[in-house]
Amino acid sequence: MSINRIKAILLHEMFMMRHSFEVINDIVIYPLLQIVIFGFLTLYLFGLNGKTAGGYVLIGTILWQIISITQYSISVGCLWDVWSRNLTNIFISPISIYEYFTAYIISGTLKSLFMFVLASILSIYVFHFNILHLGIINLFLFYINLILFAFGFGIIVVGLIFRFGSRIQAFAWAMIGIFQPFMAVIYPVSILPKSLQVISYLFPPTYVFEAARASIANPGVQWEYIGKAFFINIIFVYLSMMFFDRMFKASKKKGQFARLEG
Amino acid sequence: MGILEVKNLTKKFGQFTAVNNISFSVSQGEILGLLGPNGAGKTTTIQMLLGITTPDHGQINYFGKDFFTHRQECLSDINFASAFNTLQGRTTVWENLVVSAHLYQVKEYKKRILDLVSYFEVGRLLNSRYYDLSSGEKTRVNLIKSLLNEPKIMLMDEPTASLDPDVADKTLTLIENIKKDKKVTILYTSHNMGEIERICDRVIFLSHGKIVAEDTPINLTKKITTITLRLTFDAKKQVIAKYLTEQKQQFEFSRENVVIIKTQEKLAPDLIFGIKSREVWITDIDIEKPTLEDVFLQISRVK
Repeated sequence: MSINRIKAILLHEMFMMRHSFEVINDIVIYPLLQIVIFGFLTLYLFGLNGKTAGGYVLIGTILWQIISITQYSISVGCLWDVWSRNLTNIFISPISIYEYFTAYIISGTLKSLFMFVLASILSIYVFHFNILHLGIINLFLFYINLILFAFGFGIIVVGLIFRFGSRIQAFAWAMIGIFQPFMAVIYPVSILPKSLQVISYLFPPTYVFEAARASIANPGVQWEYIGKAFFINIIFVYLSMMFFDRMFKASKKKGQFARLEG
Repeated sequence: MGILEVKNLTKKFGQFTAVNNISFSVSQGEILGLLGPNGAGKTTTIQMLLGITTPDHGQINYFGKDFFTHRQECLSDINFASAFNTLQGRTTVWENLVVSAHLYQVKEYKKRILDLVSYFEVGRLLNSRYYDLSSGEKTRVNLIKSLLNEPKIMLMDEPTASLDPDVADKTLTLIENIKKDKKVTILYTSHNMGEIERICDRVIFLSHGKIVAEDTPINLTKKITTITLRLTFDAKKQVIAKYLTEQKQQFEFSRENVVIIKTQEKLAPDLIFGIKSREVWITDIDIEKPTLEDVFLQISRVK
């Protein structure tokens, strides 16, 4: 692992953000708008179902941004270079795929952390809800789990882009949305039909959101949920890496990777 | 031992064989031209040499090390320049070069960038977005990027395409200088035969994925024994036509007093004296020897 090469990708990301309003829009403005919309919905729900239900929605919405921003950062970060026909320049350099993704995990984590702080402040001052009441240890454990899942999901999308080209680029920002309803982000798993609950429990974030909701009623670390989330995450990230490796090798074998440049 | 050694390299895409069992090596400080018509397998070969396409068979060794098991080590001392490969369009020239310098762990990268920027006279473009540059400016920036890590071997795919003649000449001079001063090895593709003849020590011709010729540019042109003899004369053209027909020569009159004869190089003196012996006053003799372009055309047209 070379710090310099990881720094190269981080600088690349920073320069891209500086020159691309779309990135600012997608990772700051749009998530903030979502939080504002769901925040007001929360205020409305306070009146209907009490504070707990409203808290569920707001916590889910804020924590979801960690997944959304991190996986977006990884998959769209790669797409920017496909669109600019710059991917070859990166991959003919001595950078390893581990260094490349390490940089994107750092970048995604920093971006989502920035958004998390911003969303938390907004939540306190506009919606009178302090997410820190969940506890620092809890939030840290949630964060680790959500970042791990986002990373695994992000590299699956990058693997698909490498293998099938930019014609499936919409996956980069849309695919995570397809699975969102199963992860019980803003409602408890128990609301889902039994058959969907089985699917729901296959996703590590489901346990994180359940743990977050449980922590409102019962403060403290929900070790059972966290342990399960972590366990499934390890398997998921491992399988994601295997999948990416297969896709990357197939892409280079078929000549698709070199043709990504158009 | 060559800086780059390629053995039995093969790449198929379905039923189509893009590169068919090619082997070659490049020595330190040598410039090897890789030529061939479109679809000959040049690009696929370069993609395999850069590690972005996986070969079906064969071996690539850089600096005596297997490329596939020493990828990072090898790529640290390799770089690539092409008129068709672009950097990140959204960011500035400076930002692109800083990123590349970090990827190759270039020491004192600011000085290195500024030295190269000054040589290629693109200092005024440092804060411009790469996307906004002209084709020629982009090519110059690509060349700077490819020289940042002071590579031991450079793969250059038509690096001077879209450069104006002055900058193209400067680029070729730079290539000649880095070869002379730093013993950099270069694998060079171009459709400009003049460039190839000027800078390449050796040339490989690819056709339908196979190496069909390999030699120095001069020796390759020697393989074509036909020359073009252009004679300007002061006589009736029927006299010359009769003589050349008797000698079974291919000829045509481009003007009333100019004949163009395609003949074997060794027969040229006899033909000139033969025509003179028919009381024809030859006022001008022009001999066109075969060029690398003729070799290229001959090889390209063989099915």
